[in-house]
Amino acid sequence: MGALVKSETQAALTQAAGIRQYLTFALGSEMFAVGTLSVKEIIEYGQLTEVPMMPDFIRGVINLRGAVVPVIDLSARFGRRATEITRRTCIVIIEVPSGDEQQDIGVLVDAVSEVLEIPAGEIEPPPAFGTKIRTDFIHGMGKVDGKFVILLDVGKVLSVEEISTLASVASQGASGQ
Amino acid sequence: MDLDDALKTYIIESRELLEQMEDALLRIEQAQDDPEIINAIFRAAHTIKGSAGLFGLEYIVAFTHVAESVLDKVRGNALHIDPELVALLLESGDHIGTLVEHAAQGDEPDADSERHGAELIARLNTYLGHRDEQTAAKGGMPVEHAPQIEREGGHSVATDNWHISLRFGKDVLRNGMDPLSFVRYLGTLGRIIRIVTVVEAVPPISQLDAESCHLGFEISFQSDADKATIEGAFEFVRDDCLVHIMPPHSKVAEYLDLIRDLPEEEMKLGEMLVKCGTLTLDELKKALQKQADWQRPIGEVLLENNIVRPEVVAAALDKQKQVKDSKTVENNLIRVDAEKLDQLINLIGELTIASAGTALVAQRAGISELQEAASTLSRLVEEVRDTALTLRMVQIGGTFNRFQRVVRDVSKELGKDIELVISGAETELDKTVVEKIGDPLTHLVRNSMDHGIESAEVRLAGGKPAKGTLRLNAYHDSGSIVIEVGDDGGGLKKEKILQKAIEKGLVAPDANLSDKEIFNLIFEAGFSTADTVSNLSGRGVGMDVVRRNINALRGSIDIESEPGAGTTIRIRLPLTLAIIDGFLVGVGSSSFVIPLDLVVECIELSEEDKYAAEARNYLSLRGQVLPYMRLRDLFDVKGERVRRENVVVVQYGNARAGLVVDTLQGEFQTVIKPMGRIFSHVNGIGGSTILGSGEVALILDVPRLVQRVTTQVEKNGLELA
Amino acid sequence: MAQHEKSKAATAHFAIEGEMTIYRAAELKDTIKPHIDHAGVIEIDLSKVSEIDSAGLQLLIAAKLEAMIRDKQLHFVGHSKPVLELLDLCDLGGFFGDQVVIFPLGTH
Repeated sequence: MGALVKSETQAALTQAAGIRQYLTFALGSEMFAVGTLSVKEIIEYGQLTEVPMMPDFIRGVINLRGAVVPVIDLSARFGRRATEITRRTCIVIIEVPSGDEQQDIGVLVDAVSEVLEIPAGEIEPPPAFGTKIRTDFIHGMGKVDGKFVILLDVGKVLSVEEISTLASVASQGASGQ
Repeated sequence: MDLDDALKTYIIESRELLEQMEDALLRIEQAQDDPEIINAIFRAAHTIKGSAGLFGLEYIVAFTHVAESVLDKVRGNALHIDPELVALLLESGDHIGTLVEHAAQGDEPDADSERHGAELIARLNTYLGHRDEQTAAKGGMPVEHAPQIEREGGHSVATDNWHISLRFGKDVLRNGMDPLSFVRYLGTLGRIIRIVTVVEAVPPISQLDAESCHLGFEISFQSDADKATIEGAFEFVRDDCLVHIMPPHSKVAEYLDLIRDLPEEEMKLGEMLVKCGTLTLDELKKALQKQADWQRPIGEVLLENNIVRPEVVAAALDKQKQVKDSKTVENNLIRVDAEKLDQLINLIGELTIASAGTALVAQRAGISELQEAASTLSRLVEEVRDTALTLRMVQIGGTFNRFQRVVRDVSKELGKDIELVISGAETELDKTVVEKIGDPLTHLVRNSMDHGIESAEVRLAGGKPAKGTLRLNAYHDSGSIVIEVGDDGGGLKKEKILQKAIEKGLVAPDANLSDKEIFNLIFEAGFSTADTVSNLSGRGVGMDVVRRNINALRGSIDIESEPGAGTTIRIRLPLTLAIIDGFLVGVGSSSFVIPLDLVVECIELSEEDKYAAEARNYLSLRGQVLPYMRLRDLFDVKGERVRRENVVVVQYGNARAGLVVDTLQGEFQTVIKPMGRIFSHVNGIGGSTILGSGEVALILDVPRLVQRVTTQVEKNGLELA
Repeated sequence: MAQHEKSKAATAHFAIEGEMTIYRAAELKDTIKPHIDHAGVIEIDLSKVSEIDSAGLQLLIAAKLEAMIRDKQLHFVGHSKPVLELLDLCDLGGFFGDQVVIFPLGTH
């Protein structure tokens, strides 16, 4: 699976074709979901090291069994308030393609709820407008019990390319002071 | 060892042989008459071809055969080597390399390389044909004879006897033949002077299959019969037996070939030949000495041994390796998969962290015995770490030597006469660094040749020798390796660089820059422009990419240039990318690591120093100006400043700077963990590491910080003046 | 165990009779091997060997090697004429290091 995923678009295609299982989680009062195939694990929040001169949405790095993994504040990434740490705060470790390699990225969420099966027929394309987050972040809108869950396109939301550019800009700006 | 492994070994070896071949080709122009160099080239081609045949790589055999034929003529002094031929042979070597890579990929050459191969063969063939005409014109002598007379290893052995070497195949007995009957029959054709029964292959009886044959003979034989008659004696056993028949007065070199072809160990075989009276002890000594002049690659034994079936090859390779390993005491090297080594280093990294964690727990527990045990453990882990790291150290010479070819090719392209001078080739550095330094070095070398060294006319006009010199040098300097690329060219044109930088908007028109700063402008992104980028040094990469690559290795790059005298670019790199000794400092609630190699000393920042420093932007360290930077400000760390701050004095290259921190937390060993692409362009942070507590700490990019601090002070200083 | 110890020091003495050729090689191997396994000193009488070929020679070599590796003493005694001829042809007398009694030519 993961190894076959070469590019973000391909990831999206794979998702569209076969993935039916989604991990849902809360961000503020809203529900979001990501395909379970890209989720490696879910860990409790703890011992995060801040990296100076980073944009707000890069919270820092954690030690994941000897590997240093960046942690993204999803709420801040969507341009909202930074996530406040509570007892239920979790870090979802997601594998995203980066060039020829896979990069693990931690995503800070308020609470993880459940794994849902959403049939392809119950997924609608992202609305052209009216969402509060960038439409290219949205893979589709899943209907669950008459309510909509925003299915995220992790390739876009966690684009290593984009995040690295933003980080670089922020760090140049900070050091230019 | 299965066949796949054997093929892998073949490919690795071929690459090495091609490297040796290239190296020898580059040297041969200077040393025309050294037969050893030509022999080395010939042997490399010969071995690659021979082993390729065993693996059924016909496309390698076919092409290499032509190159080998040309080399054979050179070896036989029938063809004179000139720069044109060297160039062709270099190209042919490259092509063989391409073919070997095809074999490595498991595919066949594509149309492009087929075409290229055919073109090269045509050119090689002109050498073969051309020479024939020449000889015919000169002496009218049959061409075939000339090379034979001139063959290397010219002197023949003293004995008047034939030498017959027999190794019977396993199935000879089962096929109803008796090896001894052949020996008896031989007795009817002449006289067996001496015979040595080769019992080396006979297993002890508990492992013996009594119906398999393991016997062999070395026979010194006196006879007036011709070779065909003697060969005829073994006609029935030909397919089942290794038969070598050497006429009287064969060349010593041919015996050497025989020794190489036979399965037993060289020394043993040599003894047998002496025992047979075929070789005198003196002749054997000479032959083996010649042999010792070059290292024998595994594949060589397999050479010409086309009788050996592929399934036997793997076993043979394996055996050969063992023999070689046990024999070369003075050069006892083993080949280790680099991946295994990396894995080991990674594990040792984890071990280092775990050991630091243990020490921390021991300290907290307050049990002195435990603390002692933990400190013993730490010390041992440190030793293990250091030893493990040296395993990965390689000499930079291999990398440097590759530039012989680059310099040669590029100077031809540019029409400049440039000599490469290498020094410090034995300087060691981590393999992972070596692998990453190649591209930036290539770029710098090309750049120096292209822009640095002037044309011959300009040089002569400037009173310099027409031949330009490019220098590659390496040496160790306080925990770093320094690599220099120097030329004796025209030097950098300050005004021109400044003007261009202003045009490009890289600096303000009224900026007041030091020479160093001006030189360093050529590393700025967007500095290289169409008129400085030729197709040589251009290749879509600018000097900014070079600097970025070097920075990514936690290194730095610096320029020194003297108008008219030349330019030296100095790259400073850490010795290893894996593990460092770190110095831990605290700022607010964060911890940062400074590589210990770069720490000069730590001092407390007194109140009065603090005020004085803030007024004039530098500290006074025993009367010396020390530019400084407060990490708390730089990294925008939250919280109040502490009352007593500390200064860590760091040095990088020739520059010193003070880094102001809250607390000093001491030394510890640390493993550098990659931060991933997201943080690849972050200023001031060079990497990360995991502390004994499991927490991640960031490693400061000291080179960058020092550079920033010092340029700031230089500017301020200038403003004051 | 005790029996083994005892037999290790023991001397095995046996003779090979008839032809020592490829046709009997496997059988002879099975005869010789157990003796080397169980005895410390082995003496093999070759006086009744009527014919010997390469396979037979190989057996002698292999037996000697086995004994050498296992640090036992193995001697061939009473070499018959065919055996002697063969050792002479192969120049192997030195390898076996046994005392070879050269029969006066006339006795046969």
